Amino acid sequence: MTTRTDFNSLPRQPVPRLVLSPRRILSDVLSRGGVESIIPFLALSATVIGIVIATDGYFAASNLRNLAQYSADGGLVILAMLIVVAVGGLDLSVGSSFAMSAFVALYGFHILGLPVPAVLALSMGSGLLVGMVNGVLAGFIGCGALLTTLGTMITVRGIFTLASQAQLVDIASSARMDDLWDWVGFERVLTLPIGFWVLAVVAVLVFVMFRQTRFGWHILAVGGNRKAARNGGIGVRRTIFAAYALAGLIVGIAGFLFAARQNSIAADTGIGMEFFVLTALVVGLGGFVPGRGAVVSVLLGFATIYILNNVMVNSGYRGDFVQLAMGSIILVILAIDVRFRKNRHRLLASSYLDPVALRVAPVQGMDGMMPDQIAPALAAATVLGAGRVDGPEDVLLDDAGNLYCGTRDGRILRLAAPDFIQVSELAKIGGRPLGLAFDAAGRIVACVAGMGLVRVTMAGEVALLTDQTSRSLFSVQDDTAIRMADDLEIAPDGVIYFTDASKRHDIENWGMDLLEARPNGRLISHDPRSGKTRTVCDNLIFPNGVCVTHDGKYLLVASTWACSILIFDLANLAAGPRVFLSGLPGYPDNINRASDGGYWVALAGMRNPVIDAAMTLPGVRRRMSKQVPPTNWLFGNLNIGGVLKLDAAGAIVQALWDAPDGPLYMITSMREHKGALYLGGVTNDKIGRLDLPGADAGWTGAGSYRAKG
Amino acid sequence: MFFRRKITAPPALTLEGALGPNDRLDRAPAIAVPSPQAMCLADGALLVSSGQNVLRLTRWGDAPQVWHRFDTAVTALASHGDRVAVGLGTELAVLEAGDQVPWPAPQARSIADLLFLSGDELAVVDPGYGPDQPILSLAPWDDVARGQVLGIRAGGEARQIAQGLHCPMGMVAEGQSLLITELDRARIVDATGKVRLAGLPGYAGRLCRTARGYALACLSRRDPLIEFLKTEPAFVRLMKDSIAPQHWIAPRTSPGFAHDLPITLGATRLHGAIKPWAPSFSYGLVIELDATLMPTGSAHSRANGLRHAISDVCDWNGDLIALSRASGEILNLGAA
Repeated sequence: MTTRTDFNSLPRQPVPRLVLSPRRILSDVLSRGGVESIIPFLALSATVIGIVIATDGYFAASNLRNLAQYSADGGLVILAMLIVVAVGGLDLSVGSSFAMSAFVALYGFHILGLPVPAVLALSMGSGLLVGMVNGVLAGFIGCGALLTTLGTMITVRGIFTLASQAQLVDIASSARMDDLWDWVGFERVLTLPIGFWVLAVVAVLVFVMFRQTRFGWHILAVGGNRKAARNGGIGVRRTIFAAYALAGLIVGIAGFLFAARQNSIAADTGIGMEFFVLTALVVGLGGFVPGRGAVVSVLLGFATIYILNNVMVNSGYRGDFVQLAMGSIILVILAIDVRFRKNRHRLLASSYLDPVALRVAPVQGMDGMMPDQIAPALAAATVLGAGRVDGPEDVLLDDAGNLYCGTRDGRILRLAAPDFIQVSELAKIGGRPLGLAFDAAGRIVACVAGMGLVRVTMAGEVALLTDQTSRSLFSVQDDTAIRMADDLEIAPDGVIYFTDASKRHDIENWGMDLLEARPNGRLISHDPRSGKTRTVCDNLIFPNGVCVTHDGKYLLVASTWACSILIFDLANLAAGPRVFLSGLPGYPDNINRASDGGYWVALAGMRNPVIDAAMTLPGVRRRMSKQVPPTNWLFGNLNIGGVLKLDAAGAIVQALWDAPDGPLYMITSMREHKGALYLGGVTNDKIGRLDLPGADAGWTGAGSYRAKG
Repeated sequence: MFFRRKITAPPALTLEGALGPNDRLDRAPAIAVPSPQAMCLADGALLVSSGQNVLRLTRWGDAPQVWHRFDTAVTALASHGDRVAVGLGTELAVLEAGDQVPWPAPQARSIADLLFLSGDELAVVDPGYGPDQPILSLAPWDDVARGQVLGIRAGGEARQIAQGLHCPMGMVAEGQSLLITELDRARIVDATGKVRLAGLPGYAGRLCRTARGYALACLSRRDPLIEFLKTEPAFVRLMKDSIAPQHWIAPRTSPGFAHDLPITLGATRLHGAIKPWAPSFSYGLVIELDATLMPTGSAHSRANGLRHAISDVCDWNGDLIALSRASGEILNLGAA
């Protein structure tokens, strides 16, 4: 019955190892989160380059060490401010609190004669106290952040002035020496001062906090949208309080470092610090943005301001000129950054679609079988489940004849045999269930677009098998996530082969993939025994339906936009695909076995001369995507299609077309079961059933796999 | 990126306001007429072409009677008193009380519309394409303005009333002058070539006088994709070189789907239904204009309707009658 497939005599299908395109690299870079800090980074680079050109030896090791020595307290206070701003607040009291902590440290060290760790605790306690007062007022009582911290700024400054005036002489005349105190103030580890290392450690901790911890996420949620955070069950007031307190603690550390280094304070310690810090923050964040914990950006902004300020002061410019120049430079950086941020998504949208010429083989092997040459056979199909199944992309039948299908709202439905009138929900998955198959234990394995590979038992229990594969060798964008799992097949050895139709476009934008016509998809395998998932073949053109040949040795894969069917040798997958059939009259979707040893191929839509011509002109498609509204984009004709029958060698032997106004259209799958063909359509709300006169009335799809497997 | 580009004005009137969507054409009472092409009023009765026949209707609701039968398909009709002029592809026949009046043949590629300027002078619209050429497919992709309007007297003198027109489809008298529609340019010009109304939302067909001004039949809605592709010379060249004209992307007369014709992304069906607002290459549209050519109303058959490709309109006893080539019907839209 089955003829042997002569794999080695079929033409090879070239598969690119690497897809390189400037537009794609640009769009991939633009869609990465890290690109947010590109302008602060460029500003810092420009500053550094400018200084290197304009000065002589500014970046000498000694000067760098010097810069690092004095950067610690400013840097720490900026991180504190970032936390408060991220939660949606503002802290003007950082300068006063910083001075107060420094005073407390000196008082503890020189007057009380405490050991250094206790001095550190005292200093941090001072900062924490101010932070907690801010937190209680701004978080729990709900006073505005500006008013609250303005109040604490003035109050703490007053206390500092009174206390420091009273103790200044005693502190200055103290002769206490301590090795640990001097170590903190002056020692270097790996050529860099201790203060700098403290800044580095705190920066990493804050970074990890915003990235990984629940508390950090809560801060960002509250800052992003207070109401939504409350509705999401986050204790908003508690979070705000904690953010202010944490910020205070960090300011306390900064004060301690300052005290250990300077060993003295003055009446103007910390005055104007809040504005310096806010400036650096705004330069780093590109505006005053709550809900963003961008540690790296903010430190880049800080470095820019700090170095600019330092170099101009060192060059001996007058103070008012330095301020004027700084102000202008900051305005320029901010203007560029704001424009970039505002237009990043536009730049991304205009560069994302990256079409390439695709020359599809002319239609062949269809003589006398085209829709205008024969009557549409599917017009005679019986309609099942009309209006009760929303988008059955794939249909599947068990031994008892029950019918299963996925729906657009993320469920798998069962239409009970024999009349398919009773429709019940087998499982609720979410995502968009597409291809379905039975495994050896009689469970359904489903490809779910947006999720991956999912297994559903007949009791309705859902288990995720896999949702990511190995990363492509060279890719800017992380492409491990399976974006559009489309169809699957289980090989005789139990390995699941499935397609990820597009790595670049989600299911709701799958039309963009046709306009792009690039090899964006891949064939993936998953072994349920080892749990391993790997990419079998990357860079295929919209790989869609998958079918193991009757002899269990080869794998057929439909390449939708190429209008062809590829074949893989399961014993030697590394050899790559060969072309089983090309020049189909339409866009092939799923492939399934037929009872006579052949195969059924669903044609979701039809090619026409105009779209074939447009596929060879990438520039036209790209300009169209920009100048024409999406509803008016030229597209493959998905309103008419049908099913082709292939013999075992891949010759087309029969065509079943749907009528142009018929109940069935955009056929995406078909299963032969006991002498009838069941037809699903991804945008339809019905399933078709067509009797196949002369077909083996006892043959079932599931049975044909068991017989061989 | 940093400076907003100037946004250009849309090339056409949008289907809003007086041109807003409705289903007047789909709801209108209809009389089936197989393969209709043109209409005119003669002696208070309505003459409608139906393939090679001309049918006569004395009252709305009566069954149309065969009035005259020709050897080739009728492409245009006009009347003056009891004289009726019939365009037959390239040929012209003038009948008076059932008898043929001798009239010189115009030097035209085909006859798209006719109008009696007086009892013995006939204006003929020559679109510049032969009677067997698919005008709707060809016109969007043709830059040459080869259409003209000729005046032919019974005595034999011929004159060129207007020339250099891009696919003219219809005309109507305006005082001593003419208003002429240009199909693909989607505008109305007068005999001197002056543009009187530009940016129509549809591909213009024939024009008629009504009590309040004019009514314009549109063969289809203007399509943004076709308008865009006109600006792509490489695509146009490839299409002309490698594809037969009937498969070109172009406005169509029939709303049906065919496997060898393209569609647009928004036209894909959901649950088997065609959305009425879906973009479609065929459409039914009649635009009512006042005496200054300002649009005052419209009648539509949208993407899910069947009464597309309105090729002629006329004001009959106060009712506006439209002719749909897609459904093969004449439609009564009520008070004109």
